[in-house]
Amino acid sequence: MSKRGRLEITHDILKIIQKNKNHIKPTPLLRKSNVSVSRFKEYLNELLEKGFVNKSLEKGKIFIVLTEKGFGFLKKYSTILDFIDEFGI
Amino acid sequence: MSVGIGQGMIGMERMGQVLTLGVGTEIMYSFIIILCSLMIYFGTKELYELSSYKGLKYFRQAFLFFAIAYFFRSLIKFILIYSNLREIFEFSPKFFGMMAGPITLFIFMYFSSMAIFYILYSANYKSMKERKYNLYFFHTISFIIALFTVVFRNPFVYLGINVLLLLITVFTIYISSKEKKGKHSLYKIYLLLSLFWVLNIIDILIPGFFDIGQILIYLISSGIFFTILYKVLKKVGSK
Repeated sequence: MSKRGRLEITHDILKIIQKNKNHIKPTPLLRKSNVSVSRFKEYLNELLEKGFVNKSLEKGKIFIVLTEKGFGFLKKYSTILDFIDEFGI
Repeated sequence: MSVGIGQGMIGMERMGQVLTLGVGTEIMYSFIIILCSLMIYFGTKELYELSSYKGLKYFRQAFLFFAIAYFFRSLIKFILIYSNLREIFEFSPKFFGMMAGPITLFIFMYFSSMAIFYILYSANYKSMKERKYNLYFFHTISFIIALFTVVFRNPFVYLGINVLLLLITVFTIYISSKEKKGKHSLYKIYLLLSLFWVLNIIDILIPGFFDIGQILIYLISSGIFFTILYKVLKKVGSK
């Protein structure tokens, strides 16, 4: 199995959140993402910084939710991949 | 007999008039290339902002640098046409003095070399190690190329530099297409882009080098940029 790239991991994490009705706690997200804890923290921080996801507090628990930009990424993901492939970049 | 020769000469003269490139052609050519480059740069903005993908970043940078380089190229052409000069080094307006020509040429050469390096780097950055320093290296090489062009005012030096640049480009594209098993048809376009870019540079550096072949270079260069723009817009606007 080939190693997942940064773009693919980002897509996988966002897809997990979307599949979970846009509402998932950090621990199950880490488990389903299939990346190490340190890498997961790195990715989550990056997604938060880029504004792809937000943290929401419900009944004292933290949930990760997708933002408009996060949904935008998922929508454009195949276009991004096609573009990279087409131009050999 | 003399009538035949006369008619032949008139025909040649007319052909020369058609193929002589004036300000209008230069404006049109510059406008097409700068517009295509900027459309590619801004058309891929959203994809880059979403993905932060480095290959996309270098690809976009290449076209931004092409746009800047072509702007300075057209500036040089206008100066040559309006001031009725043969070489940009002869240009010395009142306010800027003798350095105006060399500085314009330096900027043009720096940005055009960097544009080619960015295109090559976008296709090869993954296979290159110590990525952080690669770009500094390319900037330094471009700076040296620009400096050599200004310092050594010799057509053979210009030809040498550009042939070397072209050989590096051909070699890099060949290695890259081999690594990716010739999967990307666009490597041929990149190759043509580099070739015609070098011809454009020679056209600026060595006056009268191409003579009537100049219009052909303009047409093919525009065609290459149109092809890339078409492919970009097709991909970007496809979904």
